[in-house]
Order: sequence, then structure tokens, then C-alpha cells
Amino acid sequence: MFPSRRTSLAKLMRGALYLTLTLSSLLMLLPFYWTVSTSFKLEQFVFANPPQWWPDPITLQNYIYVFTRIPFPRYLFNSVFVAVVATGAHVFFDTLAGYAFSKLRFPGRDAIFFAMLLALMIPFQVNLIPLYRIMAWFRWLDHYQALIIPNITGIFGIFLMRQFINSIPDELLDAARIDGCNELNVFLRVVFPLTLPGIATLIIFTFMDIWNAFLWPRLVLSSARMFTLPLGLAQLQARNTSTWGQIMAGTVLTALPMILIFLVMQRQFIAGMTEGAVKQ
Amino acid sequence: MIHHRSPLRRRLRQYGIGYAFVAVPVLAGVIFLLIPMITTLGWSFTRFNGLQPPQFVGIDNYARLFTHDRIFIKALWNTFRFTILGMLIGPTLGLLTALMLNQKVRFQAFYRTAYFLPVMTSLVVVATIWRMIYNKHGLLNLALGALGLEPIRWLSDPHWALFSIVIASVWQGFGFETVIFLAALQGIPATLYEAAALDGANVWQRFWHVTLPALRPVILFIYIIGIIGSFQVFDQVFVMTSGGPANSTITLVYYLYSKFMDLRLGYASAIAYVLFGILMVFSYLQWRFFTETD
Repeated sequence: MFPSRRTSLAKLMRGALYLTLTLSSLLMLLPFYWTVSTSFKLEQFVFANPPQWWPDPITLQNYIYVFTRIPFPRYLFNSVFVAVVATGAHVFFDTLAGYAFSKLRFPGRDAIFFAMLLALMIPFQVNLIPLYRIMAWFRWLDHYQALIIPNITGIFGIFLMRQFINSIPDELLDAARIDGCNELNVFLRVVFPLTLPGIATLIIFTFMDIWNAFLWPRLVLSSARMFTLPLGLAQLQARNTSTWGQIMAGTVLTALPMILIFLVMQRQFIAGMTEGAVKQ
Repeated sequence: MIHHRSPLRRRLRQYGIGYAFVAVPVLAGVIFLLIPMITTLGWSFTRFNGLQPPQFVGIDNYARLFTHDRIFIKALWNTFRFTILGMLIGPTLGLLTALMLNQKVRFQAFYRTAYFLPVMTSLVVVATIWRMIYNKHGLLNLALGALGLEPIRWLSDPHWALFSIVIASVWQGFGFETVIFLAALQGIPATLYEAAALDGANVWQRFWHVTLPALRPVILFIYIIGIIGSFQVFDQVFVMTSGGPANSTITLVYYLYSKFMDLRLGYASAIAYVLFGILMVFSYLQWRFFTETD
């Protein structure tokens, strides 16, 4: 009698668990669904009461509008271009520096590294105004350089890569040197392949940061042809002629690339996110 | 002579490579971090509009901020409220969902993805979506109406606006905490629970005496990262309310941004340093956290 009551209680608990998980997950996804659904609606049905869960009729006019009247394809290109170039540079410079801080010996190495770590504590907003004027001085305002050049390397990335490279045994590097590799080749042939998991993490963090950036691009870009997606989306809302259907079409286009990348690389994303926080 | 020269040159060459590998980051650090940081500090003691040369005014900007600028005090207060509210709700939700997901449930990947998906979307996207949901005739007010309740002016009522931004931000961010907590929970050795069960500990006792202590470093990490991020809130405010209504959602970084736009660069610099000062403690803790692994 007693054991069976316990199991039925356990079953009840389990049912409640699944119910809570399912309902809360659907609630989490609802804003996404509502966005996509609205983007296919005619404007007069956007705030229909009762709500129109499935767009009726389905219209593509919002997408046609943001593709032809608003340069969303151009925003997309800008976002991809800036994020890819900056992330590529990040990987290159951060790994090189991480390698030097981990495996090469030179006077002042540890002092430089320590100074860099201290600089991790500076919030970006502190540098904002002078950085803006430096961009102006280089004549990079409203150019890709303003988004890319300050972002070609980062302290956190260097730190991350150094951690990864620390775990490579020195004997392996010495063996390569004895085989006649110079330092660049040791780096390219031995270190780089062995750090690929760390590089995946670095790519994810950097790409996301640059892709989602808003305040900095908002300050340094002024003409629409240079805008990245988040800027374009904010601009679309600032126009008082924009309709909700159009804004939601723009939202879908802004969010979709990152979501697709995430769904494909989910495992690496989660691993990368948890790496720094959970130490075994 | 020749004997000594060759190893010296070799060592120089070896050093040279080290310096070459760190040259770009060091240069970038000096130009994009060090010089701006010092410049901002200098400008914070001046009146400066970016066109005429800066005029030294001593600590006037700081004094003004704290004694004469009610909008700044409001921004400070709002930023604190935003941080406290978000840090109360977000990590709690993250821990609850992680505990549920850790019960060896089926479809774990689906649930986790659902919680985590908003983390991947930019704050501008999140703010845009929620602006529509918070609309006078939006989904949320329809739901209130269906329950027989009065509609709420989520973003245009000064009593609600900041809270509405908190909700949207928590929706965006707590999946990060879920994932981190879940990984930490999965790292707790099962033997600890078995030992506790043998000692006759019930579910609550096991949570208080096994789970929570094991999660302590992760909780610390989440709060440090979360507080630093929350203090820099800007995108949501920009898109959803522009700091309004009646400055009820103005935050430190938004205020800094608006002073920058007004070309009051000295004043904006002082705001930046107040932010820096507040974050210093948390940044230091974060720094300790990262460097302890060394």
C-alpha cells in the first residue's frame, strides 16, 4: 500500500514537472512566435481582438517593404562583413598574444600581461568619448574602420587563449623546434590546431558581441548605408511611418541569422558559455 | 667576442618574436583603452564641448552631479532599481529552471533551447518585440482583459515603465543563468547526495546542505557578471522608452549618452567616472574570479 502511494505521488510530481517545463518553455517562445506571426499580417489585424494567432490573410508585403524600401539587405551585409572581419582578426591576434604570454619568454612579459588584466576592469563607457574623437581624428567615423579596428583584439580573448595554450606541454613545442620549425610555424602547425576548442569559444563570444553591439555603432555611424542590423531596426522604429508589420519583418531578419547559427552550433555555444563559469 | 655575440643575438631574436606577437594588442590597449581612460578622467574636470579647448573647472562637474542634478540622481536610482530587481528575478528563475531540467527529464534539449534562445538575440530585437507586446492593445493587455482586469500602460506609466523593461531584460537573459546553473548542477558528484540520503536528509536539507554550497562559486560568478551588465543597461531604454516617461526609466549610461549628444563632454566624462567608481568593486571581484584559475 505505502510504496504504491509513494510511486503515485512521484508520478504526480513528475507530471507537474513536465507541465511546468512545457508551459514555461512555450511562454518563452511565445514572443518569438508572435513576432513571426505579426510580420506576415496586414496592419489592421496586428492588434486584433481576439488576437489573430495565425495570420489571415498571409501577406508578404512587410518583407517586400523592408527589402526594397529599407536597405535591410545592405544592413545584413554590413553586419556580416564587420562581424566576420573583426572576429577573424580577433582569433588571429588573440591566439598569437595568448601564445606569447603563455610559452615565449621576453623581459616584461608578466608585467604586460598583468597590466592587460587590470584593463579588463575598465567599463567600455569610460572610453567612449575619447574613442569617438580618436575615430574622428583618423577620419574613420561613418566607415567600417570605426567598427572593426577597435575590435580586432581583446583582453578577454587573449586571456582565454592563454588559458588554453597553458595546457599544451612544452615538450611538444620543443620537439617541433628541434624538427626545424621557426616560432611562427610552431604556432601555426602545433599550437593553432590544439587550441581549436578554445578558438570556437572565442569566435562565439566575439561574433555575438559585435553582431549585437548597439551603443558604439549608434555613435560612430550616421548614414543608413553603413548601418548594421540592430541600428537599422532601431531606425525603422524611429520613423513614424513604419507599421508594426514592417517593424516585425525587420525584427525577424535581424534576429534570424544569429538564431540559425545558434541552432547549428548549439553544443559549442553552451560549452563556451559554461566554460568560464563552471570550473571542475 | 664573437662567442658572446651569437647567443645574445639569438636571445634578442627570440625576444623579438615575443614582442612581435603581443605588439598589436599592446598598441590597441594603449590607443583604445589607456589613452581614452586617462583622457576621460582629465576631461571630467573640465567644461568641454568638443569644439573649443577644454576649460578646467576642478571638481565642479562631480559636485554638480550630486548636489544640483536631480535627473542624474534619478538615473542613479533607476540604475540601482533595475539592477536589484533584475538580479532578484533573473538568477532565481535560472536556478529554478536548472533544478527542473536537472531531474533527468526527457526533451531536455528542447526546454533548454527555449530558455536560451532569447540570450542569442540582440537587446534591440528583444526591446522591439516587447514594445509590441506592451502596446496599449498588445498581447499582454489582451490577456489582462480576458481575465477581466484593466489594461496597464506598461511603458507610458511612470510607475510601470522601469519594471516593464526589467521583465523584458529578464526574459532575454535568464536562460544564460539556466545553462550555467545546469552545468554546475551536473558537476555535483552523485556520491554527495547519496551520503546525505544515507544520513536521512530530506529534499530540502539536501538542497540547503549539498546543492547550494556546491553552487556558491557559480552564484558568485552570475551575480558579479549580472551586476556589471545591469549597471550598463542602455539598448532597451533607448528602444523602448528613451528614458521616459518623466525620466522614470533614465539610466546612468542613457544619461551619459544624452549628455554626449548635447556635446557636454566634460559633464558626460564625469558621469562615466561615477559609473567606473561604482563598478570598481564588482570589476575587481570579476578580475579576481578570472585570475584565480591561473
